[in-house]
Amino acid sequence: MQPELEAGAVVFSTSYPVARADLQRYADASGDHNPIHLDEAAAKAAGLPDVIAHGMYTMGLVSRAILEWLAAAGVDARMTEFSARFAKPVVVPAGGTAVEIEGKVRRVEGDTVEIAVTATSAGERVLAPARATLVVR
Amino acid sequence: MLNTSYVGRSLPTTEPVAVTAESVTRFAEALGLADTGLVPPTYLISLTLPAADRLIDDPDFGLDWSRVLHREQRFAYHRELRAGAEVTCAVTVESIKTVAGSDLLSLRTEVRDAEGLAAEVWTTLFVAGDAQ
Repeated sequence: MQPELEAGAVVFSTSYPVARADLQRYADASGDHNPIHLDEAAAKAAGLPDVIAHGMYTMGLVSRAILEWLAAAGVDARMTEFSARFAKPVVVPAGGTAVEIEGKVRRVEGDTVEIAVTATSAGERVLAPARATLVVR
Repeated sequence: MLNTSYVGRSLPTTEPVAVTAESVTRFAEALGLADTGLVPPTYLISLTLPAADRLIDDPDFGLDWSRVLHREQRFAYHRELRAGAEVTCAVTVESIKTVAGSDLLSLRTEVRDAEGLAAEVWTTLFVAGDAQ
């Protein structure tokens, strides 16, 4: 077990740019072509301020932050649980935006580590923290 | 408003769907993930949501997709899935809660491969009511 895996420790903090082209690529890969993620007029007609990222795109970036941290730390672990609540949309104007992601150890029990992950965009917390359970091999 | 008599109902299990290497690579690339051959943590949503099409399209259920926002998502992985697996999906309407005229619809999908239950996927959708 890595020494830094103690409850309360911040284990990663990263930021990913998000452009509308990324949402188009995610729509094609996931099959979710809801126009609120792709078309400004459709998003505004639905009462949104602008195009918003798929919640699952944001959750996907959270998974990326976790996997990149594990790879960089040299920790071989299997994810057994992963959850998120989408509190606020990630608004993606024509010029793009960014999502900042921070992971903190919530609990360690034997080989099992629970991580709480916050995601922020344009100063707003977009997830009511995501949780991931990892079993270290 | 959704038809609450659907709570507890399960859709017929889907035909086996191949988790192709190509779809795994495309999904990983769209999120900037390293392509390891393992199915990315959120990949299963691309199978479980289409598995609910029959429910989404059922006029008696009353779901207007243009009023839907994704509220919550949870995955439980019982086994690692790799590209090349074949899986079926079985969707159950777990609950419908009405809050201030809008509905919260929770679906649970069992994802099975040849060895049995590989993952469970819970999706909660917020369906805006007429007042929204």
